Amino acid sequence: MLHAVLLRAEVPSARLLAVDVSRACKMPGVRAIVTAADAPGLHGIGIADQPLFAVDLIRYVGEPIAAVAADTLEQAEAAVAAITTEIDLLPTAISMADALAPEAHLVHPDWRNYEVLFEGAAHAGNIAWEATVVRGDTGAAFSRADVTVVESNFRVGRQNHLSFEPRVAIASYEDGRFHIETSTQVPWTIRNVTARILGIPASHVRVTVPAVGGAFGLKFDCALEPFAALLARASGRPVRLANSRQEEMFTCLCRENAEIKLRSAVTKEGEIVGREAVVLMDCGAYGGEQIFLTTMTAHTLGGNYRLGSVRISSRAIYTNTAPNGAFRACNGVYNTFALERHTDEICAAIGMDQFEFRRRNVLGDKDIGSTGQVFEGDVLRPMLDRMADLRSARPSKKGTAGRRLYGRATTVGTWFIFVGPSAATVNLNTDGSATLVTAGVEIGSGSMMQALPQIVANTLGLHPEQVIVRTADTDGSGFDLGVGGGRTTVSLGAASQSASEEVRKKLLSVAGEMLQTAPERLVLAGGRVEIAGAKGSGTTIAKVVERAQQLLGPLSGSGSFTRPGVPAMAGCARGHFIDAIDIPVFAVHECEVAVDPETGHVEVLGYTVVQDVGHAINPRAVFGQIQGGVVQGLGYALHEEITIDADGRMRQEGLETYRVPLAQDVVPVEISLHEGAPSIGPLGTKGAGEVPILNVAATIACAVSNATGRPVCEIPLTPPRVLELILGKNTQLTFPHISPFWEENVLTSQPSGKRDVAG
Amino acid sequence: MPLHLTVNDEDRVSVRDPLTPLVDVLRDEFFLTGAKIVCREGFCGACTVWVDGRPVVSCLLPVGLAVDCKIHTVESLSTNGDLSVLQKAFEDHDAVQCGMCFPGMLMTLTSFLDREPRATREEIKAALVGNVCRCTGYERIVDAAFSLASAG
Ligand code: FES
Ligand code: FES
Repeated sequence: MLHAVLLRAEVPSARLLAVDVSRACKMPGVRAIVTAADAPGLHGIGIADQPLFAVDLIRYVGEPIAAVAADTLEQAEAAVAAITTEIDLLPTAISMADALAPEAHLVHPDWRNYEVLFEGAAHAGNIAWEATVVRGDTGAAFSRADVTVVESNFRVGRQNHLSFEPRVAIASYEDGRFHIETSTQVPWTIRNVTARILGIPASHVRVTVPAVGGAFGLKFDCALEPFAALLARASGRPVRLANSRQEEMFTCLCRENAEIKLRSAVTKEGEIVGREAVVLMDCGAYGGEQIFLTTMTAHTLGGNYRLGSVRISSRAIYTNTAPNGAFRACNGVYNTFALERHTDEICAAIGMDQFEFRRRNVLGDKDIGSTGQVFEGDVLRPMLDRMADLRSARPSKKGTAGRRLYGRATTVGTWFIFVGPSAATVNLNTDGSATLVTAGVEIGSGSMMQALPQIVANTLGLHPEQVIVRTADTDGSGFDLGVGGGRTTVSLGAASQSASEEVRKKLLSVAGEMLQTAPERLVLAGGRVEIAGAKGSGTTIAKVVERAQQLLGPLSGSGSFTRPGVPAMAGCARGHFIDAIDIPVFAVHECEVAVDPETGHVEVLGYTVVQDVGHAINPRAVFGQIQGGVVQGLGYALHEEITIDADGRMRQEGLETYRVPLAQDVVPVEISLHEGAPSIGPLGTKGAGEVPILNVAATIACAVSNATGRPVCEIPLTPPRVLELILGKNTQLTFPHISPFWEENVLTSQPSGKRDVAG
Repeated sequence: MPLHLTVNDEDRVSVRDPLTPLVDVLRDEFFLTGAKIVCREGFCGACTVWVDGRPVVSCLLPVGLAVDCKIHTVESLSTNGDLSVLQKAFEDHDAVQCGMCFPGMLMTLTSFLDREPRATREEIKAALVGNVCRCTGYERIVDAAFSLASAG
């Protein structure tokens, strides 16, 4: 097997005039070198803006320029070092403020010519995508005489997933087809995007995926696979390409840095009659997932509360930095931070208790969301009440804060389960075991290896250990949107259940014949078929399968599932990939913190989660997800941040500079699961792995604000930042590149030509 | 010059350069892939093995320095397919998520509990300063280890 290495750009913005590989080609052990000439196409989500290799322009530090495969890794590295490039430095747009300044450097001077893959959104210059919501008349709401207007600005940095297994792919090319073995959450996306980039039919690509060593959304996008595939074809040999930790760090598709402006008109009674929001999401040099994620602002920042009228502008902004991507609950995490901190500022302005305000205003049965979707069921309010009960059942930790400042906060959060299409096949074998075939991947959440076998076993009367889960193979299973967004248990679960039901039906009909009774009278349990009420009267499932095999052939069933499509109010949402969310998921978090006024150190004294799970198939697995998700959120709230210097380089290159939570930083999370909220998932489930991180930054920030009496507008709350806060420095953020007038932050309502380029 | 090593009580020979990190010899040459490479800077502990009975991050140890030492990897913990008590406790506590950190956690904690069989939760947490987990939020790993400490 050959080893591959990428030549990556070292400057953030330049014209790429020439790439000379002639010397590198002659180096010992080198078997193939590929460059932009081998993969000229553009790909992307919503808009095709990204080449595989830099062509003509370099847009970020770390952008691939060439790929080398050689007999050894060292030889490949030596050859990469021997490739020469000729570049002409260009101006840069490193921050979103740079990118939106008048006369800004355009990251994509050619943006007008890009193929649009999803119609309906506005984009121009460095504004890669704009999704807007307009419901009701906010102008009228804000000019009412009886309202208080509250305005807040927030900023967050980038968070690196730091999944322990890096992105890595092994590709081979045989008989005109590619086989790619890779560490991904989205086998079918890899298949389709690789094919698009290579300009070949998608059916020529087979993707298989072993168990994945952590992903958290990082592996929701095509990454190294096309490079490995190109090199495998060019060399005629299998090729392995793996990111080093350093490459993982500086090309991580981070949770994006963002800037948020929120304005609300609220009555004395606490009714939110109008809300306006502008969210700028840094997508980096290419649109990627952020294009899609602009949609989610409507349902997170626009979620939680009943709003009389609302306007939201959610924009993905190009900068000369590494592209960002999807990370557990994505922009929901910082939108919830902004929304909940803003909510507490509203409470302060109108003099209402923070908990009471939430109880009065959270979305309930038949309330409408920002895009006009009608919510079903009272979920958040009972969850808040549960939280209040938990609080009064145990003593406050205020005593342990000692001389430090003590704060407590309760927040709410709205996320959604990303549904989308899934397929499954179930084969029942003559030894009484079942094989479940899907394109789902186990990424460590237990959904594939615990929840799905339980669903199949339940339907077929087997033990979960008797269900063998086939690892993902696009040649062996039907389409699947991918593992992420909490959809595994829901979509793959529903497909698996319907496949199992088909098998069950066949099984029962044969068993009915064997036992001389009607199939409706039979029950399946413990690997046996029994006549209802007469235990021991039946036979083993294995025997029935054997009989069925003689009569009908092997027993198998297939199932599929897709999103039902919940309606929104016509005309509210523009540039959105989905107008309403199929399965909302709610969370209520509470924490107690102690803030050291001398060092700025924040200690989390206690943390409690009430999470809406629909129905918990495997509560222990859900508890594990909640503990893990909350701790990732604590890292984000308190110390994790990727920062970028003026030359477009990430300052954090490894675990030594990028600090993640350690064992001594964490507390056991007290958990209460809220069951019974409506869900279209199998057995009423909702995915539970995505959501636990949702309100952590919000809760910590609100608690620190309550402790210090100062408004937290930025995270992470590192000790220096907290000290500044306590000293009253940097409490106000200003955004010169966000207009105080909402309509000036929207492309479509600009007089034509005015802000056509670069905002 | 071939390097003679003792790995999991077997004599092994490596033909790699003596400066090669031990973890690469274990994984790529001996196919003992239990030890994981995550950071290569001695920070995460996923590559922890025992060298003469002491936990060591194998990404920072040149294989040349491990000659004449007794090396044990996570593969040596279970005997004849029977899990060690700590492995069993991890399973019982449903502690594992992606699993990448666990080989290192096992090596660190097995050795720690040998020395401190009555350790408290706080002591167990302190013993994990060199072992990072990105998935689990630690508490169940600590619970599992503590169940042995309090049972013993
Ligand atoms: S890989 Fe050795 S400590 Fe991280
Ligand atoms: S279980 Fe994934 S890093 Fe610990």
